Amino acid sequence: MDDLTQDRIGQLIDYIMKNCLWQFHSRAWDRTRQNENIVGMTTKILCGEPVEAETPFDKCYWVDAVCLADAYRARHPWLTEMNADGIKTLMTGLLERLEYLTVTGSLNAELTDQHY
Amino acid sequence: MPYHEFECSKVIPERKEHAVDKEPGEDLTSCLPKGYLNTIPGSISERGCAYCGAKHVIGTPMKDVLHVSHGPVGCTYDTWQTKRYISDADNFQLKYTFATDVKEKHIVFGAEKMLKENIHQAFDAFPEIKRMTIYQTCATALIGDDIGAIADEVMEERPDVDIFVCNSPGFAGPSQSGGHHKINIAWVNQKVGTFEPEITSDYVINYVGEYNIQGDQEVMQDFFRRMGIQVLSTFTGNGTYDELRGMHRAHLNVLECARSAEYICNELRVRYGIPRLDIDGFGFEALGNSLRKIGLFFGIEDRAQAIIDEETAKWKPQLDWYKERLQGKRVCLWPGGSKLWHWAHAIEAEMGVKVVSLYTKFGHQGDMEKGIARCSEGTLAIDDPNELESLEAMELLKPHVIFTGKRPGEVAKKVGVPYLNAHAYHNGPYKGFEGWVRFARDIYNAIYSPIHQLSELDISKDEIPGNHGFVTRRMLSDADLSDEIRNAPHLSEYDGKFDCLAALKDKTYPEFPRRVAAAE
Repeated sequence: MDDLTQDRIGQLIDYIMKNCLWQFHSRAWDRTRQNENIVGMTTKILCGEPVEAETPFDKCYWVDAVCLADAYRARHPWLTEMNADGIKTLMTGLLERLEYLTVTGSLNAELTDQHY
Repeated sequence: MPYHEFECSKVIPERKEHAVDKEPGEDLTSCLPKGYLNTIPGSISERGCAYCGAKHVIGTPMKDVLHVSHGPVGCTYDTWQTKRYISDADNFQLKYTFATDVKEKHIVFGAEKMLKENIHQAFDAFPEIKRMTIYQTCATALIGDDIGAIADEVMEERPDVDIFVCNSPGFAGPSQSGGHHKINIAWVNQKVGTFEPEITSDYVINYVGEYNIQGDQEVMQDFFRRMGIQVLSTFTGNGTYDELRGMHRAHLNVLECARSAEYICNELRVRYGIPRLDIDGFGFEALGNSLRKIGLFFGIEDRAQAIIDEETAKWKPQLDWYKERLQGKRVCLWPGGSKLWHWAHAIEAEMGVKVVSLYTKFGHQGDMEKGIARCSEGTLAIDDPNELESLEAMELLKPHVIFTGKRPGEVAKKVGVPYLNAHAYHNGPYKGFEGWVRFARDIYNAIYSPIHQLSELDISKDEIPGNHGFVTRRMLSDADLSDEIRNAPHLSEYDGKFDCLAALKDKTYPEFPRRVAAAE
């Protein structure tokens, strides 16, 4: 991954970490579900693609995705200059980094505690 | 791992893994203290017990209930009125608390008979109250009193009453957090689904993990009503017993304090298919985003935006007045659990202060993850600190103010550090746009109170200055400000009322036509 992409992912991650709560549900599987759905929908919104949010659960992912996409657009003008492929590549990297920070690399021992 | 070893705790080596410094380059995969473990012997914890967590955090804010502790009177007396979770029911739940006053003879011969007599006496004394919660304590749990069986007997004898039994004795977890978990699960198991509420809106929420500290719930409820949203129940601040039995009919669970109440949200999701949306009621941006998200969920985001615009226009200039005067002030953010992450970033971004340390008494590692993610580099994060560690941290970090509970707060005052009550607040509510300004005002008043200049003088050795008069807060806070900021016409001090809730009591709200009614 080139330095520019890495730097941009860092900026996007920093916003999530400082302003969002959805990535910190209490179990590993729960966090992965949140991360994949919300980052996935945010990617579609940023690419101008339609998002289906039929169920109440999908709607919850969607509202967080809408707010995240709006915040990204407002804070990072370079996003609006990227094409859809570029955004998808960037957001794939973001999801990987987020999963690492909150799930696979997390030091939180409760994430996999069967008795929690 | 960038562990922080306190000099005072070198004799307790296990403590080292409970504190970290967030240094440059550190992230959550390299910087996280241990948490939610049994307090290490020898470390004098500031935690509460699982009974206290169940009763005094979650159970007691319910406003139309006789709250009974089955145990020694000290369990109730020593924890009575330690919170400021007010209610619009004339604060009944704060004024009255009940205990069975178990003594040695009951430990030997059992206390069930006496419990039953107490239940009847309480209902007889307050005939207008028909709901009761009973809390197990260590003593009565150890002798095996069956509170549930007694409650069933009474409900059979008095068909108009309903009783909830919470089996969370003090030893049922490492801290009060164990009690939060137990009462969440007990409530959803015993009571949710046993009452059918009246639905009056197309948009129905449970407001979960909100305890109406100095009126927080009433402030947030005002926003929801202005949006045409029915708050079916609040778990549990200013909430009623029967509303909370009807939680299963909500369309959305809006979760404020995930530390104390995510359990019931997760259960309601699985059992009743109600989704969970985590929100932040503290801070302009976080609160604005929260209202907007709820609005988006129901397709009424324009109503949320109208509130955000109106409130921001009114209160932002006042928030910024304080922000200019709080720039760079060092803060130790030392609350119980969730406020370390609710506030960590918001106070830095919107009030200009610098969080130099955060700690949690009963938080889990998940709370520390959120807190460390939100604080900036250079912050010292501590899990379950003892008093000596707190003193050492204050000596090291030299904070201008700390936000904590009243016990460690009084310790701070003795070493010349002002404190604000992070649990019960000083002059709350702190939620809402106006509330956030009130918090900034309290921080300002704490830091710049002229009393600190006097209190830090030792009359036995310091020279007492007699050649100048008393200084005001404003003289202290504005000394280094530029004229441009000092006289900025668009900034002003807080001008709200002492009781900012009074206006909400008789307020009328817009009526929005219901989609269901229109279809009919």
